[in-house]
Amino acid sequence: MKTLARDWGPRLAVLATAVALWEYFLSRSQNFLLPTFAHIATGLFHLIFLEPRFWEALYISNQALIFGYAVAVVIGIPLGLMAARLPWMDRLLNPYFAVLLVMPVAPLIPIVIIALGLGLAARVFIVVSFALVFITINTRAGVRSIEPTLIEMAKSFGATESQIWRRIIVPGALPAIFVGLRIGLGRAITGMVMVELILVASGLGRLLLEFSGRMQSDMVFATVLAVIIEALALLSVMQILERKIAPWAPDISIG
Amino acid sequence: MTASEAVIKTTAAKNIGSSFASHWLLRHWALEIFALFAGAVIWESLGWGLGLQWLPPFSQVIVALFQFVASGVILSNLQSSLMSLIVGFALSLIFGLVLGALMGRYRIVEKAFDVYVHALFVCPSILFAPIFFAIFGLSDASRVAIIFVYSTFVIVINTATAIRTVDPSLVEMAYSFGCRERQIFTRILLPASLPLVFAGIRLGMGRAVKGMINGEMLIAFVGLGALAQKYGAQFDAARVFAIAMVVLIIGLVGNAIVQTLEHRLTRWAD
Amino acid sequence: MIQVKNLTKEFGRIDNGGGVLALSDIDFQVRDNEFVTVIGPSGCGKTTLLRIIAGLIPYQHGEVSIDSHPVVGPGPERAVVFQNFALLPWTDVLGNVTFGLDVRGATKSDSQAKAKELIKLVGLEGFEQRLPKELSGGMQQRVGLARALAVSPRILLMDEPFGALDEQTRRLLQEQLLQLWERERKTVVFITHSMEEAVMLGDRVMLMTPRPGKVKEMIDIPLKRPRPPDIEKSPAFVEIKEYLWENLRAMQTHQS
Repeated sequence: MKTLARDWGPRLAVLATAVALWEYFLSRSQNFLLPTFAHIATGLFHLIFLEPRFWEALYISNQALIFGYAVAVVIGIPLGLMAARLPWMDRLLNPYFAVLLVMPVAPLIPIVIIALGLGLAARVFIVVSFALVFITINTRAGVRSIEPTLIEMAKSFGATESQIWRRIIVPGALPAIFVGLRIGLGRAITGMVMVELILVASGLGRLLLEFSGRMQSDMVFATVLAVIIEALALLSVMQILERKIAPWAPDISIG
Repeated sequence: MTASEAVIKTTAAKNIGSSFASHWLLRHWALEIFALFAGAVIWESLGWGLGLQWLPPFSQVIVALFQFVASGVILSNLQSSLMSLIVGFALSLIFGLVLGALMGRYRIVEKAFDVYVHALFVCPSILFAPIFFAIFGLSDASRVAIIFVYSTFVIVINTATAIRTVDPSLVEMAYSFGCRERQIFTRILLPASLPLVFAGIRLGMGRAVKGMINGEMLIAFVGLGALAQKYGAQFDAARVFAIAMVVLIIGLVGNAIVQTLEHRLTRWAD
Repeated sequence: MIQVKNLTKEFGRIDNGGGVLALSDIDFQVRDNEFVTVIGPSGCGKTTLLRIIAGLIPYQHGEVSIDSHPVVGPGPERAVVFQNFALLPWTDVLGNVTFGLDVRGATKSDSQAKAKELIKLVGLEGFEQRLPKELSGGMQQRVGLARALAVSPRILLMDEPFGALDEQTRRLLQEQLLQLWERERKTVVFITHSMEEAVMLGDRVMLMTPRPGKVKEMIDIPLKRPRPPDIEKSPAFVEIKEYLWENLRAMQTHQS
């Protein structure tokens, strides 16, 4: 009990200071539209419990997220595994991975719209393009991190390629794959948000536009906060899964 | 090949002798260079062959790129973008390094901030764009704030880890020779943590560039992002690709600069 | 003179049911210019004891004093040599040896002059600009030794300094350490796992027992100084060594 207080004491102090700073900044600012902490809190409550359109928008927006993430995982993991095991493929793909890591996807969104229109397909494609590279790269790193002597050892006992995969490579790479899945999820959420805010389609983006058009800045803040909460919740679930399935994972990652 | 492997291989190349180096580099990276070249060729042929509005031939993209550079459009937009980038990144460096160092050295600071730093690190930073827009409006401050949120937290986390994982026997040794807190910080913690701190700075820089461009796309700033929006609305795919390439080049150049600096300062690390 | 009286050291809180009693009622003295080796099985607290004398960790009960001044922290009259060398990887040999002097504010020219002298003394002349990663283990420890000697301590505290080295390197460094010590007889407390090393180097051996750490016996080593070659074959040497082994073996079997 004492350690709980010792841990959370400083944390709550930081939160309280942050809120105090916000209120102070508010009092000094000319902007009358900015919501106080209380406004934000009530806005959030209103949004979650009293605004059915929020849940509707959430549902629509998350479609892109779920499909996009699923596609990214289904393509990304095998791609990463292959890249790690086939040296020629690895070297061919590497420069593209390096480029995609550094290049921002956002400027290309208008091009995707030209190609695929404004519907679900475009949104899914954008989410995939945000998430894919990170899943692939981390999967590849996971396979490469396996000690070559382990594979040698398996071969010396006569293991076939598929046995090596099942017993050594997949379990050995699992921690890094999960890290990639977690980062990929974060990226997918970013993609979904970018899509919503740029395309202003039918989901959360539209809702945000409405609120800001009506000068309801407390609702704008509340909506953003709600999405932040969703993002953190999803990522925490992923982290719990990660710890359950691969508890020996170290804390390194790419991206 | 990861970035670090690339650095190690280049170092090995230096040892062989610089006259060999370029041949060596070419030989070992021939496949990769070929891959990029092949990609360009495929792009070019698909561009001409398919005649899609959204897939112009690669050559047209290059032409657009040169046009941009020549007409100075890139430069003027780049200038305003870069200014915010530099200010935002500088702020995040200062804040990130200081907070990271404090968190790495003092457990109570770590406990106080870790939940928030972690949450802000994993949460998609773009979510703060509407908030900053509400606070600062259509001003440079919004842009700087977005860049700040994008890059700070990876710097904090890397710096904190860097300081926390300094070999404790080095700290003990320094203490045994009479070092006080400040000396331990400057003589031991600072140099020992440099490699990981630089890793964080490089990641932070990449994030800052992304923050710059993403922020500009969302909020109609003057700048490269706004330019991309404009040409996107005009269905000018070649120009949009060209802008993406400009951003890519900025990212790569920045990365290379930091990597050279890093290599100079951490030659002792492996 | 190092004086330790009724020293007790706990880690953690014993009253709460957690915690470990590392050292209990330790009592001994080290005279000036004496070379004392400390040996005992794992867990007997010898490293903890050294750290306490070095002033690196605190103690709960008892007295630890140097020339009647109680030990409250590190001090200029003591210098430590570490088992894993603890060299700064980003500084060259010269910079590492001058470390202790730089910290105390010596001028660059003074400290470098002194360092060069010592680098020569430990046989590393010509290696001043090398980084630690370019040196073998034995060479790195010689840098550690030079660094300790550079601050002109009266007392050298050595924590299994040759434990991380292979046997051949170890024997060479033992010889070299003895040569250096014959030149200038500092007070030395030397922790070791090796019975041969304990008898070879020391004027006296302190035998410790584990859990909690206590001093079982202080054994005099009446062998000639400087140690003649092949001393380890002499009957007197072997006798003391076997005596140590009997005791240590008894402690091990007693535990298991």
